[in-house]
Amino acid sequence: MSDKDQGQVPFEEEQMTDPKPILKADDLSKRYEDGVLAVDHLNLSIYPGEVYCLLGANGAGKTTTINLFLNFIPPTTGTCFINGIDVTKDPLEAKKYIAFVSENVMLYGNFTARQNLDFFAKLGGKTDLAKNDYYQVMHRVSLQEKAFDQRVKNFSKGMRQKLGIAIAVIKDAPGILLDEPTSGLDPKAATEFLEIMAELKKEGKAILMSTHDIFRAKEIGDRVGIMREGRLVMERTREELQHEDLNKIYIDYMKSAEQAAA
Amino acid sequence: MWKTIVKKEILENILSYRFPLFGLIAMLLIPLGMYVNQLEYTKRVRDYEEQVRLATEAASSLKLQDVMAGTVSIKGFRRPAPLSVYTRGFEGTLPRYYEFTQEGAKPGESSSGEESILSVQGKVDFVFLVQMVLSLIALLFASDVIAGEKEAGTLRAMLSNRLPRDAVLTGKVAGGFLALWAPFTAAFLVGLLLLILGAFPIFGGDTPARILVVFLAASVFLLAYFTLGTMISASSSKTRTALVAILLIWAFFQLIMPKISDMVAALVHPVRTETQVSLEKSLLAGSLGMETARELGRQYDLIFGTAPKGAADDEKSPERIKWDALKAGIEQGAKERKAQQLGAIDETYRQQKRRQQDLAVNLSLVSPSAAFARFVADVCGTGELERTKYAEAVQAHARALDGALFSKVKRTLMIHPSGGTSLGFSAQPVDFKALPQFTIAPASLADVFKANWKSLLSLAFWLIAPFAAAYVRFIKYDVR
Repeated sequence: MSDKDQGQVPFEEEQMTDPKPILKADDLSKRYEDGVLAVDHLNLSIYPGEVYCLLGANGAGKTTTINLFLNFIPPTTGTCFINGIDVTKDPLEAKKYIAFVSENVMLYGNFTARQNLDFFAKLGGKTDLAKNDYYQVMHRVSLQEKAFDQRVKNFSKGMRQKLGIAIAVIKDAPGILLDEPTSGLDPKAATEFLEIMAELKKEGKAILMSTHDIFRAKEIGDRVGIMREGRLVMERTREELQHEDLNKIYIDYMKSAEQAAA
Repeated sequence: MWKTIVKKEILENILSYRFPLFGLIAMLLIPLGMYVNQLEYTKRVRDYEEQVRLATEAASSLKLQDVMAGTVSIKGFRRPAPLSVYTRGFEGTLPRYYEFTQEGAKPGESSSGEESILSVQGKVDFVFLVQMVLSLIALLFASDVIAGEKEAGTLRAMLSNRLPRDAVLTGKVAGGFLALWAPFTAAFLVGLLLLILGAFPIFGGDTPARILVVFLAASVFLLAYFTLGTMISASSSKTRTALVAILLIWAFFQLIMPKISDMVAALVHPVRTETQVSLEKSLLAGSLGMETARELGRQYDLIFGTAPKGAADDEKSPERIKWDALKAGIEQGAKERKAQQLGAIDETYRQQKRRQQDLAVNLSLVSPSAAFARFVADVCGTGELERTKYAEAVQAHARALDGALFSKVKRTLMIHPSGGTSLGFSAQPVDFKALPQFTIAPASLADVFKANWKSLLSLAFWLIAPFAAAYVRFIKYDVR
């Protein structure tokens, strides 16, 4: 596939000035026990200060890609690298450099926001934080102050999502994996979320975000890739997308996938 | 990292509704059970002391004529076990005393006769509470240790960090168990305090060590159930599934397995009842007695039939000397034959009974609950070991009384070939004030450990095997 829109994109060539990607998928494939090929020879590199948005329909392989980076499942072929560390060979060391926020942020309902933050911060290796540090981070993600010491079981999805981001922020890892983080958020919460992403990007974090939200992908992504049946079938930079309609491109790809299936 | 998991687990339990609920149950039931059993124990000790006093008085007022008349019966009482406040074990079913007569020892009534009709449902003591109530709570506490995190998705969040899975599992087990163990320990200590305030003889002999062993055994037992629950939790993707499995396993171990063990053992090794054996022994003793009486009568007639008149009363006559020697030989032979034949019946019965009991015990030890109950009952002096020691003490006392009292008076029954009968007596002096006292040699803690190696092995197995299984399941768990 020589066409940039139809196959894997050798994007690294364009980034030769930056030698070290934080997140890298090298010829990554995953075939499940039932024979489904969820990820098909994926090559991807995400550099410090870059946001990469992965678009795709359900089952396109976005979450599997994130699961492979987290070593929740082993790859069939290929390798994931986090900060240069082979995730399969040294998963624990690799996880030092990664923070993860899922679609439905999973928290301990009986704990307060601060207790949740404290627990996950310690798991992330931050053992010497003071109460104030937690409050600062929660302020930063725009969590209401009255919610700091409330049990999270009554939190709205937006509040949980903010706390999830706070957990990622406090870990201060160079790489962040976000699995459909804006799904189900109201527009205000989604906007706030993107603002935080922009700040993290400025701090030099490499962010991989899987999403269905084309509008926000275009807004925040330095690069946007579309996955279909496990393959990265299209990739555009922010500059390229200024002249193209991402919405149309995405719908065209989905239609062509449906036609191929029919 | 491990400590973080432990702390989180403790905090999560403390903040949940079940922690105060369990604390309340433990704080109410354990000290209350101990207190009530202590009151009962005190009452039984008072009864025991009064009965011993009366029996001692009765024994010292005995006369040789009473022995000759064959109406003497001496009672040997068993002192209630102090640690029966923790587990009643066989305390209620063991005879409170044995009655020793010339015919041997026969059991007196047991204290269960005085108990309330409600006690058929089982006495509420510490072991019962640990076995039936706390074991279930331990399983329930463990039900969501892994499954709960899987279901809530928090396991994914945890494992996205630099966290080895074995640290997660051991940390969760340690933290979860500590949250269970702390209120249990507090309740145990409150119960102990109540015993001390109630002037319970807690500091005598090796009692403190035994109480410590009881506490440790209960802790190990609860940990075994907690790891069993963890194994089920690690094998289930949903807490509800884990709960159903837990209830089934609990019912099997607590209610079904111990009863099945007895039934299977009774089917595989049937044993006659004690009454049947006792009847057989009585018939045999009667038949041997008649045989001896006939032989004595025959020999008497042979010796004195042609002897000069008065030879039987003249201790120096050659006939009398010959008769005395012959009689002693016949009586000694009869005594030995009787002892041997009755002993053989007893031995056969004991062997059959032991075989049946061994099978029942071995089968029941499949359940950690039975292993725990057996071990703690022996530690508290109310178990199988105490029953054996009691039986041994009864046999030894019967022998001692025979030597010091019953053998001092000899009754000689003769049935003459002509059909006539005669009864003769010979007696030696007896010091009724120096009769042997009935005592049961207590089993030492070392004896208890030695006798319970199978129970301890079963507990160790149930501690290690479920944890190992949980470990394997958790390490292989697909965290997606």
